[in-house]
Amino acid sequence: MRASIKTYLIGILLIGISALLTSCGNKVNSNKLTSELLPVDGNPLVSFRLLVKVGSANDPSGKEGLCQLTWSMLASGGSKTMTIKDITEKFYPMAASVSLIMDKEMAVFSGTIHKDNLEKYYAVFKDMLLDPGFREEDYNRLKTNQLNFVEKTLVNNMDEQFGKEILNLMLYEGHPYGHHEAGTGESVKGLTLDDVKTFYKQHFVQGNFVIGLAGGYPADFPAKITADFAKLPESFTPRLSLPPAHMPQGLEFVIADKPTPASAISMGFPVSLTKADKDFFALWIAGSHFGEHRQKVSLLFQKIREERGQNYGDYAYIEHFVQGRDKFPAPNHAREQQYFSIWIRPLANSNRHFVIRQALRELKKFVDEGISEERFQLVRTYLLNYTKLYAQTLGERLGWQMDSHTYGRQDFLAEAQSVLLKLTREDVNRAIKKYLNFDNVCVAVITQDADSLKNDLVANTPSPVKYANPNMPKNVLDEDVVIQEFPLDVKAEKVRIAPAAEFFQKAGLPAK
Amino acid sequence: MPKFIALALSAVLLLAIPLESQKTKVFPFDYKIEELENGLKVVTIPLNNPNIISYYTIVRSGSRNEIEPGKSGFAHFFEHMMFKGTKEVPSAAYDEFLTQLGAGTNGFTTDDFTCYFVVFAGRDNLEKVVKIEADRFINLYYTEDMIRTEAPVIEGEYYSSVSNPDRRLSELLRGTAFEKHSYKHTTLGYLKDIQDMPNQYEYSLLYKNRFYAPDNTILLVAGDFDPAQLMTLVKKYYSDWKKSNYALQTPVEPPQTLPKRAHYDWPTKTLARLAIGFHGPAYSDEMIDKAALNLLAEVSFSPSSPLYQRLVNEEQKCASLGANFSDNRDPHLLVFNAVVKNDDDLATVESEVLKELERIKNEPASASKLADIKSNIKYSMADALGTTDGVAGTLARYLELAADPGTVNKLFDLYERITPQDIQDMAKKYFKPANSTVVTLTGGKAK
Repeated sequence: MRASIKTYLIGILLIGISALLTSCGNKVNSNKLTSELLPVDGNPLVSFRLLVKVGSANDPSGKEGLCQLTWSMLASGGSKTMTIKDITEKFYPMAASVSLIMDKEMAVFSGTIHKDNLEKYYAVFKDMLLDPGFREEDYNRLKTNQLNFVEKTLVNNMDEQFGKEILNLMLYEGHPYGHHEAGTGESVKGLTLDDVKTFYKQHFVQGNFVIGLAGGYPADFPAKITADFAKLPESFTPRLSLPPAHMPQGLEFVIADKPTPASAISMGFPVSLTKADKDFFALWIAGSHFGEHRQKVSLLFQKIREERGQNYGDYAYIEHFVQGRDKFPAPNHAREQQYFSIWIRPLANSNRHFVIRQALRELKKFVDEGISEERFQLVRTYLLNYTKLYAQTLGERLGWQMDSHTYGRQDFLAEAQSVLLKLTREDVNRAIKKYLNFDNVCVAVITQDADSLKNDLVANTPSPVKYANPNMPKNVLDEDVVIQEFPLDVKAEKVRIAPAAEFFQKAGLPAK
Repeated sequence: MPKFIALALSAVLLLAIPLESQKTKVFPFDYKIEELENGLKVVTIPLNNPNIISYYTIVRSGSRNEIEPGKSGFAHFFEHMMFKGTKEVPSAAYDEFLTQLGAGTNGFTTDDFTCYFVVFAGRDNLEKVVKIEADRFINLYYTEDMIRTEAPVIEGEYYSSVSNPDRRLSELLRGTAFEKHSYKHTTLGYLKDIQDMPNQYEYSLLYKNRFYAPDNTILLVAGDFDPAQLMTLVKKYYSDWKKSNYALQTPVEPPQTLPKRAHYDWPTKTLARLAIGFHGPAYSDEMIDKAALNLLAEVSFSPSSPLYQRLVNEEQKCASLGANFSDNRDPHLLVFNAVVKNDDDLATVESEVLKELERIKNEPASASKLADIKSNIKYSMADALGTTDGVAGTLARYLELAADPGTVNKLFDLYERITPQDIQDMAKKYFKPANSTVVTLTGGKAK
């Protein structure tokens, strides 16, 4: 018991030190390692999250995909002393693994291990990162996987994600965010093993590292890791100076044409705030009201799916969203620049024009009218309770802690509990007016007969829909009459069409 | 430290399972099973994790229950209808309640069961949850118009994965391998049946009466609550639910007597797919067949297996390779899957998988390999049981199969007893050419 109390107190002390370190480390460039510690005395699990402040935005021009390939060589390749086969065999009895989370400005190497196996696991994990094997066979395997993903899988086998990635291209063409983490067909083909080694040498340095550790690790374990990783060069990668994202001028469409019975749609525009901003909490309520991810509280879900049965779901986000456990947001996708987006899940091609109109009309109403007091109260209560479920595992808790510090906050989820309570409906509606709009929106569509959609959009052709239910409620049918002729100001020159297979093969969008 | 963070932290602290330091059972938590007079089974697992409660309703309604022609996908469709509310609490009021609660909530449907869950914070909310959940299961109310509006959502759900070749491959494998059993179709169902769902109001009432009844349902509650109080509430709110007494007779799948094969041409470029299925046994925590085959899958097809290492890492013919032996109430398929990088290697990979199955019939797995596998599955289970919802989510499928959390420990005891000879025997029993179905998918030639 005494040892446990000691461990706990040391843990508390280390949390404090960690907070001090990170309050500097994540805000200011430093040559030195930083750490995030979350000791949980008595917990038999230990969760690692080793965050590197270098992501796909750091890919050199023409070598898009290099960061992902390099970090994959660490997470899924061998070390100098162990092949990937050796590592797999070693990890297997422990049910252990090393996972890679990739994003634009960061990547995380993560794993959770029972403390029975902590020393054995860490010895391998450490060598994978600090002493990588960079074997030709691992490089060929991982490069081929990456190439297959951009050439075949992304554009042919996952239309929902395909649409989201086209929206990303539209918002960030020519910007460091403006390519998929996996790169393009052309860029990946051009990568070499020497490129990987050079990228590793340049960026796998102390100042880029945050060592995250949570759970029931021994009190001296953080010092051990720190000593190991302190062998990395004392250096850092300067923060990127990001240009502004592309603010659409009017409605801008990119349509990927392919044979498909269903249309996948994503739309959005840049927003000038992140979790670091005071206004984030107000806009968070707005976003949750308009389109909380895979929850019925989403207004878009209610209007498009529940009232009309058009598709499986419809959501909106005030920042880049990656789904983690269950439907909760995954941590460690922090970005300096964010975007607002609407995700319309695939629907019958015959209804695509109607639903594009409906989504944009709802966006206009949302921006024009804001949120009602009743909805404000409901959604605020919802977020106050729902966010209590976000961080349940050790890895999630640690990830949220790291994100909090990345955004210059002490504890984002704890702050939310107090800040949300102080907000008013007026705060939310002010944030909506300040950050959102409905005139200037990028729209990505995966569909077939793209020319036909273009013609309908430009000509504002009426787009009535038919329902299986002959007795649709009158209020829905009355609203449909308005939606089906809702005018969209779509200029022909603002609609780009390209065969689906041409996307992600070269930098930027396919030929206009 | 904010209160809720401290609570969540405690949850992690108390739920994680010490393996070596405490020779405990794989499923270490105390639990209680009670049954109401109407046949509703209630499984309670109090956990020392302040604040979080997982409330699961498990109905034995899955694609297995879709025994009539034209009704494929109906269990899943009915899952959607279960969110339509009651006369007392219409769907909008039900949604508003869950929104106020900030609950993590949804449902999902499998081959054998449909599960509805509400995960929420605060034991003060327990009675409200019990009351509203009981109401919707007992008093579900919807009109034909509501059916007609909801049915196209299923078509939308079908479309959300229409670009995924793995779904198509799964449809093809089931459709080819099964002749009579309702496992022949996927949980989503055939598109033509989905498109006919708007016309199935009358059938939906029949379906509800057959399967949405207390004698076909298990309530599972895990987390921070008082079991005695919960049972008082359950008796108060669920006792009026009437039994069905319906006995489902699933069609018996006749033994397969000849090898089967099918191919699908995907319209665009894609990595090639291979799936080889053999008819296998149903889940059991007593008979060794399924448990031995589960271990075989790990011996021969896990990432640590020689075949995986060769095909994925060394020769790099496959992007992935694995085995999927699902636990089902009726005999299902033992499936070997591969994603193959070049179409030209498809035949070679198929041959290698079949050769491995022949090898395992004749060469016993080493004792050390079996020990590694048993260690792996124990640590995997410990990780899965690390949160309240992990406990409930993991247990839901076992409860559906055996109606008793003790089945987990019985299964793991069974694993301990399985010998290399058992694995060889099961390989010989099930992996016969006449019992096999091979399906492949390649793309890019049509367009």
